[in-house]
Amino acid sequence: MKELLIIRSVSFQQLDKNIVAIKEEFKDYNINLLTHEHGVKLAEKYKWIKNIYTYPYKDSFKYRNKVNELKDKRFEIVIIPVTNITGAGFLNVLNYSLSIKARKRIICNVVSELKEVNIPQILFMNMKSILISVVSLICTFISSLIIGLFLPIFLFFIKKEDIN
Amino acid sequence: MDRPLVSIVTICWNRKEDIRESLKNIRKIDYGNLEVIVVDNNSTDGTVEMIKKEYPEVKLIQMYNNIGIEAYNIGFKNASGEYIVILDDDSFPAPDAIGKMVERFQENEKLGLVAFDVRNFYNYDEVKKIAQDALTDQNEKTNVAESDQYLMAFNGAGAGVRRKLLEEVGYYPEEFFLYWNEQDTAFRILNKGYQINFFSDIISYHKYSPKNRKSWRAPYYYTRNAFWLIWKNYPLDMVIRLTIELIYNCFYSSLEQKTFIYIKAMFSAFKNISKLKGKRSPVSRDLAKNLRIPFNVSFSFYR
Repeated sequence: MKELLIIRSVSFQQLDKNIVAIKEEFKDYNINLLTHEHGVKLAEKYKWIKNIYTYPYKDSFKYRNKVNELKDKRFEIVIIPVTNITGAGFLNVLNYSLSIKARKRIICNVVSELKEVNIPQILFMNMKSILISVVSLICTFISSLIIGLFLPIFLFFIKKEDIN
Repeated sequence: MDRPLVSIVTICWNRKEDIRESLKNIRKIDYGNLEVIVVDNNSTDGTVEMIKKEYPEVKLIQMYNNIGIEAYNIGFKNASGEYIVILDDDSFPAPDAIGKMVERFQENEKLGLVAFDVRNFYNYDEVKKIAQDALTDQNEKTNVAESDQYLMAFNGAGAGVRRKLLEEVGYYPEEFFLYWNEQDTAFRILNKGYQINFFSDIISYHKYSPKNRKSWRAPYYYTRNAFWLIWKNYPLDMVIRLTIELIYNCFYSSLEQKTFIYIKAMFSAFKNISKLKGKRSPVSRDLAKNLRIPFNVSFSFYR
């Protein structure tokens, strides 16, 4: 059987729904799941999961955060569930998926539609992201100059009075 | 031995069928000493009439406008149980969940909050591996979903808390109106030295929306309240760093998703900062570092 890996990038409530569609679409695949440490016990309850791999970091999924258990694994498909329709806000997970050896990468959206995303598309998204990042950094820098002056005053103003 | 009284507290607003179904399932709970409190946020769809007629055992409290999560606080104040179970109007616990929750509280006095495993009402029974009963024989430790490296908050669609502890640390932050209120409460519970544990065998069913609701509410309140969560709870140096990161994410996500909603939420956070007056109380540095708060969630609902 071919191997499929789901990166658990959404809540279990959503994955409960997505996994039905994934199993239906990929009947002949072994389904594996990668999840943060706190999700392992909750993922064990799925009847269709062959292996559960632990993402041993507190952070969200990041390309530089490697999972040793997956280093020598190869998957036919990696699935990235997203909490919206387009996948906006999940570039970090797509980038993370590039650190896993796989033939195809597929987004599964909130209504369980499956859409393949190839490596050139992910690279194009990253190029676009760099441009957006530059503009955002400039805006953040300007805003921070103003906010940096006032934020400590604001924080003092909202501080809870010490009863003792 | 008599079982302690447990108060179920939920709120609703114009979701008559959802709350009807939740109350129907709450009746199936196999725990004898229950009090059910519903706080209605001024529904206009006949919710109040339905509850009065079909569920006379429910303690119904009516608001005269929609006050958001503050309605929970009204429910908490009116609760007389030793433990409070917090639910959404479209969620309900599995029949055995409350009995198990009480056992866990009685076994561990430092356990402040039991986080239920909140699953999809429509699909969970189809995808789960084993009958729920099979999990009850396992010992408590094997059912705790946790990490050695970080702490977790909880999901307001299914959680049990000691009533006295909640009174001591304060109820939900009413200024938040919607979202991130659980995380704010989690900070205060954990900062008191109590634990929050997820138990995989204590289930709450939630009608997780099957459709993508393209709405401004989630991105707006998640983003605004992320700033407030940071300003209320983190030590100063972390506030500065996290605020700058959040500002960057507001600009980035606004450009990426072609919307002003995040910038609007950011401005609202600053403009309405007076709502936090007297509420900033930084938690310990260890807790601030260890509680896992995925702020980027705010930017993943818009489209």
